[in-house]
Amino acid sequence: MPIIVNLDVMMAKRKMSLNELSEKVDLTLANLSILKTGKAKAIRFSTLESICKALDCQPGDLLEYANK
Amino acid sequence: MEISTKQILKILYVLSWIIFVGVCVEAGGFIFNTFFTLVINPVDAKHFWPGIDFSSLYRYDPGHFFAQTLLMIIVAVMRSLIFYLIVKVLHDKKLNMAQPFNNEAGLFIFRLSYLSLATGLFSWWGVKYAGWLTTKGVPMPDIQHMRLAGADVWLFMGVTLFVIAQIFKRGVEIQTENELMI
Repeated sequence: MPIIVNLDVMMAKRKMSLNELSEKVDLTLANLSILKTGKAKAIRFSTLESICKALDCQPGDLLEYANK
Repeated sequence: MEISTKQILKILYVLSWIIFVGVCVEAGGFIFNTFFTLVINPVDAKHFWPGIDFSSLYRYDPGHFFAQTLLMIIVAVMRSLIFYLIVKVLHDKKLNMAQPFNNEAGLFIFRLSYLSLATGLFSWWGVKYAGWLTTKGVPMPDIQHMRLAGADVWLFMGVTLFVIAQIFKRGVEIQTENELMI
């Protein structure tokens, strides 16, 4: 899929672990892992909003379009 | 008293087992009697199966006897396979009502549709073959007794199941997408 999820990059920048993020955004580790590994097919605006809030970033920091 | 899906499936499981054993006995009987008539004792053609007297057909030509019984055997074996699949799915409890659109269930419907279509085609072929033999002056048993009746129903079931299988396939895709929506 040409949409790349840069969640791991943002987590590294904020020095936040997956467990910590999971608690803050109220998502299961399994779901966060699906998102992080790029297996997710879609993301809800509400989920994106809570992740942006927790990581203090913009949606564009998390998602990237790469034409391959 | 409310009857739940679980109870219905349990009843269907028992019924499927009974029918499966019945059709297996029938298929086995056809195979054995064909072998017995052709190899050991041709007199057996007279008492091939309850209601089936193939003595005239055997006297006319053992080759035609073999072809007609082969079609009956194919249909009987396919019916057994259909019920084997049903029993297997109900035994393995692969019908997950919480997430019904899974690959196993989709594959099950696809297989059923192919088998139904094939059963319908072979039944239709068997009926036409018996009809052709009748025109040659060979007295043939009733197609109901030869277990070849209902070809149109099998074909209708096959086509319907095929359409359902296609819809089911899309359902599996949608469910997978839904599961991967975070």
